[in-house]
Amino acid sequence: MEIEEASPPISSKRSSPDLFFPVSDSEEEDVITASGALAGPSSSAVAPSSTATSSRANGHKTQSQSQRTNGKSAEIEFFGSQNSDDIIPLDTRPNASAGPSKIKRPLSQSPPAAIPSDFEQGYLGEFVCEGWSLSKGKGYCSPGSKVIFERPKIKVDEPVIKGNEKMGGPARLVNGKVVGTQKKAIGGKQVTLGSMMSKKAPPPAKKTVGKPVIDSIIRFRNDRGFEVGRLSVQEAGFLTHLLDTGVIALSGHVIDCPQSLSTGSTILLNVKVYLARKAFEKVEKDGRNKEEGSFWQEQKETTEEEAMRKRKDALGALFSRIGVKPIRSNALLLAQKKNGAAQINETSLQHFTDSPKPKRSPSPSKGSNASGGEKGKGKVSAANSDDEAEDEDSGDEAEKLDEEQMNEIDTIYRKAQQGDTRLEETNPPDTFLYTLRPYQKQALTWMSAREKGDESIRDNNSLHPLWEEYAFRKEQTVGQPIEIEDDDDFVDPSRKFYWNPYSGELSLAFPTSNTRAKGGILADAMGMGKTCMMASLIHANMDAEVSSTPPPVAEAEDEPANKRPKFKQVTLSNQWRAIPTVAKPVNVPRATLVVCPVSLASQWHDELGKMSEKGTITSFMWYGNDRVDIERLLAQEGKKKVDVIITSYGTLASEYQKWRKNKDKPTYEGGSLYDHEFLRIVLDEAHNIKNRTALVSKACYELKGQRRWALTGTPIVNRLDDLYSLLHFLRLEPWGHYSFFRSFVTIPFLNQDPKALNVVQYILESCLLRREKTMRDKDGKLIVDLPPKHVDIQVLDFSRPERQIYKHLEDRAKRRFIQLDAEGRAMSNYTSILAMLMKLRQCVDHPLLVLGKMNEDDEFAEKLLDAETGDESSNLKDLIALYAGGAKSADSEKEEVDHAFAAKVLRELGEQETTPICDICSNEMFDEVLLPCYHRCCQDCIVGWIGTCEDQNKPALCPSCSKGPIKLSDLRSIQRKRKRVNPLTGMSINENEEDQKDVVIGKVDLVQSTKLRALVRKLERMKSEDPTVKTLVFSQFTSFLDLIETTLTREGVKWLRFDGSMSQAQRATTIEEFGKKTKEPVVLLISLKAGGVGLNLTMANHVFMMDTWWNEAIEQQAIDRVHRLGQNKSVYVTRYIIKGTVEKRIMKIQRSKTALVNASLSGGGSKDKGASLADIKKIFGLDEDDSEDEVY
Amino acid sequence: MSGLPKRILKETERLMSDSPPGISAAPKDDNLRHFDVTVAGPESSPYEGGIFKLELFLPEEYPMNPPKVRFLTKIYHPNIDKLGRICLDILKDKWSPALQIRTVLLSIQALLGAPNPDDPLANDVAQNWKENQSAAIEQAREWTRQYAQ
Repeated sequence: MEIEEASPPISSKRSSPDLFFPVSDSEEEDVITASGALAGPSSSAVAPSSTATSSRANGHKTQSQSQRTNGKSAEIEFFGSQNSDDIIPLDTRPNASAGPSKIKRPLSQSPPAAIPSDFEQGYLGEFVCEGWSLSKGKGYCSPGSKVIFERPKIKVDEPVIKGNEKMGGPARLVNGKVVGTQKKAIGGKQVTLGSMMSKKAPPPAKKTVGKPVIDSIIRFRNDRGFEVGRLSVQEAGFLTHLLDTGVIALSGHVIDCPQSLSTGSTILLNVKVYLARKAFEKVEKDGRNKEEGSFWQEQKETTEEEAMRKRKDALGALFSRIGVKPIRSNALLLAQKKNGAAQINETSLQHFTDSPKPKRSPSPSKGSNASGGEKGKGKVSAANSDDEAEDEDSGDEAEKLDEEQMNEIDTIYRKAQQGDTRLEETNPPDTFLYTLRPYQKQALTWMSAREKGDESIRDNNSLHPLWEEYAFRKEQTVGQPIEIEDDDDFVDPSRKFYWNPYSGELSLAFPTSNTRAKGGILADAMGMGKTCMMASLIHANMDAEVSSTPPPVAEAEDEPANKRPKFKQVTLSNQWRAIPTVAKPVNVPRATLVVCPVSLASQWHDELGKMSEKGTITSFMWYGNDRVDIERLLAQEGKKKVDVIITSYGTLASEYQKWRKNKDKPTYEGGSLYDHEFLRIVLDEAHNIKNRTALVSKACYELKGQRRWALTGTPIVNRLDDLYSLLHFLRLEPWGHYSFFRSFVTIPFLNQDPKALNVVQYILESCLLRREKTMRDKDGKLIVDLPPKHVDIQVLDFSRPERQIYKHLEDRAKRRFIQLDAEGRAMSNYTSILAMLMKLRQCVDHPLLVLGKMNEDDEFAEKLLDAETGDESSNLKDLIALYAGGAKSADSEKEEVDHAFAAKVLRELGEQETTPICDICSNEMFDEVLLPCYHRCCQDCIVGWIGTCEDQNKPALCPSCSKGPIKLSDLRSIQRKRKRVNPLTGMSINENEEDQKDVVIGKVDLVQSTKLRALVRKLERMKSEDPTVKTLVFSQFTSFLDLIETTLTREGVKWLRFDGSMSQAQRATTIEEFGKKTKEPVVLLISLKAGGVGLNLTMANHVFMMDTWWNEAIEQQAIDRVHRLGQNKSVYVTRYIIKGTVEKRIMKIQRSKTALVNASLSGGGSKDKGASLADIKKIFGLDEDDSEDEVY
Repeated sequence: MSGLPKRILKETERLMSDSPPGISAAPKDDNLRHFDVTVAGPESSPYEGGIFKLELFLPEEYPMNPPKVRFLTKIYHPNIDKLGRICLDILKDKWSPALQIRTVLLSIQALLGAPNPDDPLANDVAQNWKENQSAAIEQAREWTRQYAQ
């Protein structure tokens, strides 16, 4: 009988949906609900929970009492009238009641679905709790008797409550029947539990409460309304907040108590906990929609956060108390729990939520206005404090990942890749002319799936990483033992709910990790054909599927608010806005926008052309003056149809600025990239937007497109936030929210919480595809079979003059630095110190890079050389003059010369075909020079010999005949001119002098560069091995490239040039020219900065790195221009290092990427000068002993 | 062999394949700049019939700086001291980078044939040589028999 009695209510709970909680999506409806509840309390208000409770009571009590209880509890039941509270204009904000659709977008972590209309409350479980009696005497309660829990009322809320009570009307047993009022000094009035619970927004309550936070006492009464006692605070303290906010409802009965109560005697209670509908409603926190970030608002924000945190903690405690376990949770979360890492997380967040106010109040408007859309986002998540968002800018340096951390990230990449070998292969459509490799076909599969939103392809239709799945339980039938352990039997798997232990949110809908973001990050290593894969995708998915065209509800709702008139204000919030649909949905977006570095634009254009069947895909370069009205351009049909627009980051940024400035003007005519919605946006080399505050990043975020792709070989360059920017661009929820990302990734990571990496891994798994050249396919074969790469580090020795000049510069720089440092002025002269360093680095390449300027510009020379030591600088000038061959030493003429020998030599010079062997180095003479005695040597050798003799204070005699002494200025160079015309410069050599002697004896150019000579020598050797060899020569200094040019011209080597000063067209021509088949070797001189990325130069297979750049990755990138897909020869990399110079130390620093690198790269504007100063000391060798690794 | 200048490689090669008469030189296995050298005493000199061991080392700066050479075999010679050090101008200030190991060793061999007591290194030997040449020569022969055969 009891069982029967118990079960109908349960079923009724499900079958009569509108009992207490009719569909309520708006405030109005809430009101209706309330009145509905008022109207028919007796008819339908058989509160299931109370019924159940009472039936439980039945198990212990007499039948009659149970009947009575039953009847009464129906009236007592608070749920029926709870909504009446909503009428009270306590809560003026359009908050939770605004409905789930609204919630969805801004609050990313919230599940997308609404609360089912038939849901009123769910039984969570029960637990045994100790209470103390507050009353004396018999008859208050007995084992099995039902109790009602309540919270003392807060005074300030009285008017509210009164209204409530009126509304509640007769249904309330308790009204007016206050027993023991005197005991309730604090509360004064009693209210129904329901009214307490239904108090919608905790924040206002909090505010009114102010400082004297109400105790956490939960009292309970018997079913006749008499107060019996209170729950132990220790045991049930956590319930307080939940009761106050209406998240839970309680019912209970006495398990055991003394027959006659005395104050303080123990009463053992069984407490049943229900999650109320309220729990699943949105907690108010989208107040940031109101643009003006007033002080008030900031405060409120924080209060909400606090409320959320309390709720989260309380729910956590409750769950563990009841023994509710998730039936499903993310592995990641699980792991985190196991290690208590979640705890760390919470406390760290707590720290943030607790402390921000004093910091913030002085600048109330900060973080909400124009200071950046990012800041606005800081408020998105209740679990986070946006304080972090404010701090982050200053924290940059600290967030740099060190090498070890980068390694960890590598591991993560690898883990995230694990399943990828099993991806299906998709063949591109026939219009795509290239043949894809298997791994590229896999990428196509993955990318297509990402675009269609088909997540199953990689099986991550999993639970949102931060959510746990729980099931409500079936309420136990009466008579069964109160057993909290074996809960499995009672779990009702059909009724699930979800909890986010991080934010405290609850949801009834399944929170998938599946986001609506279409697109992802294709992060294959360099040279794997990302462009090619993307092109195949463009072919494969030409048109938007119809399904994607109707804009999602949320957007439609938001759209009017964000329309033009208000735009200026809304721009910030635009940052987090979902993809806005274009106003006229007639035009189904079909174009793809490719944003890439300027040097790659034409390559994209060319390759798309080559890969596509004629007439299928046409691309347009949106660049420079070629910009037109976008709509008109894309509206073209037939032959002029444009499918892909290619633009550069720079162009985009300027377009963005222009658009921002003009879009609100009435005269604005549209036609910019921002006025069009693209089918697909592709960022090539997407690490260009790694700095989320940079203009170019914002420009990319603002683009409208349905599908978004980021192509980059380095999604994380050197800090985790780099990844964030990409995620934000992709609009990947929830990670695309800055505060969210920081709270769950950056901050834990910096706190060295290893679990942060799990989160990163999770993110990467969901949206990133990365393969490396070394990866193997499912058959164990390398996915990319690239020819081997040989790296040869040539450690060269300065020639004497170079060494002297270098030493001179270095000593001076060192002295100057020491002096500045001693005076404490190093910081203020930071830029000039960096400039000195730069000089040293240039000097290593070629002394003329430094010297030439000094001769031309005395002032500059003075500055460089520090006027204080004038005599020394004149020394240097002498030196320069000497080595430039300017010093006169006419007395060399007096040396006797063996005329017969001289004649013989001169004759030989004219006739001989082969180069003679040098006596000193036993090689063929290189830079043959003639000594006064007409003996010949390599220039290097004789210069070295003269230097050695000088060092030893002995006359430098001719090695062969001991005549002398020889001076450097006596040397004459012998040049065998090659009858060749440099094809590019058109400069002819000996064009009109064919009949003249090929040999010219001239002044020796002593200021030569060791590196340059090594290069020329190597090129000569390479030519003999492969007469059509193509070579890349990288340098970071274009002035050095100039010098290389001159030398190559002299040597008759064909060369081409590629640097940042060239126009897009020139660049394209250069690359094209370089790719042509030739009968002679061609050298392409590239500036590292302009040509280091993206270019595909597989026609070459030799690379020379002439100097050392601060960042090794950049150099790697440069090498990968050649060592990439399409390369079928072995690749040879030669890099030149000069022994005993800054280069060695730069390489050292390169390995431990430190502050100086950033300082140098950012032009010395870094705040972190202290750290870089330490680095400079290292570079000057002042800080550490350089004894180790003296290889260089 | 990497890191060794081409000149040293060439010289070594030639020394091994085409050594001058009465002279042998071979690099040690563990250090290719370090040579084991033997020089035969020149005919009609007090050192005739003797095989003298020397060691030769090519410094890092070679050929800008001369090789370092030292007798290992005890020898009675006015220009060679007890420690085997040699007084020879081309090993000092008259060095020229055009000279080679081969020429240095030939010079040493020549020095054995033409001792120069006026520029002595071993003073006692030089004095003896000057004052009583035949006795000194006899002594040299004796030492050759004793140590170099």
